[in-house]
Amino acid sequence: MAQVVEFPKRAVEVLRDPMSLLPAHAVDDWGRDPQLVRAVEPLLRLRWDVSVGGVHHLPTKGGALLVCNSRRWAQHHLFAAWALGEATGRPVRFVGRPDIAPVGAFMRRVGGLLARPDEVLGALRNHQLVLLPATSTTHPRHAGDVSHQLVGAAVVAGVPVFPVATMSSTVGRVARAEVGAQVRPRHKRKGPLAEVELAEQVQHHIQRMLDGLGGTQTGVAPIDWLTEG
Amino acid sequence: MGGELGSLVAAMLEAEPWVGSLVGIDVDPPRRRLRTAEFHLLQPSQRDRIVDVVTSFNPHVLINISVWEPDARAGLSHARQFTADATTAVVGAAAECPALEAMVVRSGIEVYGRERNAPTRPTEAAPLRPTSEYGKMLADVERQAREVGRRVGIAVGKLRLAPVLGKHVPSPLGRLLRQPVVPYSALADAPFAVVEDGDAARAFVAAAARRLDEPVNVVAPGAITALQATVRGRRIPVPVVGPEWGLTRRLSHLVGAPIPDHVIELLHRGRLADGSRAPELLGLSPRLTTPEVIDHLYTWESVVRIGKVHSPAGAARGVA
Repeated sequence: MAQVVEFPKRAVEVLRDPMSLLPAHAVDDWGRDPQLVRAVEPLLRLRWDVSVGGVHHLPTKGGALLVCNSRRWAQHHLFAAWALGEATGRPVRFVGRPDIAPVGAFMRRVGGLLARPDEVLGALRNHQLVLLPATSTTHPRHAGDVSHQLVGAAVVAGVPVFPVATMSSTVGRVARAEVGAQVRPRHKRKGPLAEVELAEQVQHHIQRMLDGLGGTQTGVAPIDWLTEG
Repeated sequence: MGGELGSLVAAMLEAEPWVGSLVGIDVDPPRRRLRTAEFHLLQPSQRDRIVDVVTSFNPHVLINISVWEPDARAGLSHARQFTADATTAVVGAAAECPALEAMVVRSGIEVYGRERNAPTRPTEAAPLRPTSEYGKMLADVERQAREVGRRVGIAVGKLRLAPVLGKHVPSPLGRLLRQPVVPYSALADAPFAVVEDGDAARAFVAAAARRLDEPVNVVAPGAITALQATVRGRRIPVPVVGPEWGLTRRLSHLVGAPIPDHVIELLHRGRLADGSRAPELLGLSPRLTTPEVIDHLYTWESVVRIGKVHSPAGAARGVA
């Protein structure tokens, strides 16, 4: 009997136009590439197994400034931004990309912003979640100084500020990002004192949360002692 | 009024109820059928004639679109000369018109510059630090308009347009992206935003109608990189690094798509701007996103059908 032979239409189309194999991508208003972020996610998962807490504090829409502690060379802001982005379902941009190719260009594609008050202000005014790392320290449970110029962007934009305590193991995959309740200024200030006091308050909040989290737990006690600095 | 954008603005102005009579000046005849507008074919160097036409018409609103982007319709030196001549003549003539209430000038987001550590998405409040020849030309246009506005006491709106792309708009970026083989920066592949010519024209009309008196960024939402644009257009992307760009520029020039310094800067450093104030200041936002503008760029048509444009009677007079 006759047999219907299906002509391999798709294969012929691909041969005629090989460029059709490549997907049509675009980046967002700040140059973040969601496809690239999805592509590097397996690598991030390979390095960090992040447990996230306190996400319910974050607003579901509108801008917010998140401030996290940072240990030297540990890239806390990278895993915290990625994990919080996954937990909230919204892109979380991190502050502190260099402006030199190719590193700066790559970091812009995964959501990096320059450490400039106007850059942070622009993102917050456009209802984005922005993660600002404090000055990095050598001790994993010390919160470094928080830049009051960059926190000032949140004051100007009128968005809430949240502390984020982060911890990670230098050798293992275990990492944690804990979001605290919104930091409300103690005093109503009209001038620049508002941002200076808010930055100090945020640093104290992060320190208190880090004290509550306890030290690194890799399961190997000597290694945990090493990471205590 | 003769260029693609100018003709589009003129056609839209004719359809506006508040526009009574319309006069236009350009070096090329209009590319669209204009029903009521009066057109004068004048060179930018004919300053006396331009001043005579503008002052005798005595408009309420003046729109200056006479900016020559380098390597769009003229090379860099000619573009610089034409833009300077036209700006001096038109903006200078505006100062002599007693009825003038507002002036709208074309500028671009190139005025912000892309030096190292410059903001990624500058707002209108960002300082003007142009780092390309085209950016310097546009900053000069803005400066002259601002000075005249201050002296005469009129509203001066400055539309800082993202690179204007359209199927028939002469643009070095559009021409480059439509080549069969497109170079891109292998190390940076920076994101940029554009705006469609129709959206840019609507912004001019809105700025004139509202007597805009400040700068505003007109940028299509979203962004794209050169590699992504090339893939969308089914072109062959070629990664280029460092000194190879010199050779690439020469080759591209030979095949008819010269790459001026502001396009090189766009490919290496990106070109974004915050256009969030446009809806508030102009009452409109671009209809097409940046990826859609790029898609339209590649759907080339041999025949463009222009819809009917009605021109009801109005009150104000304008020069475009």
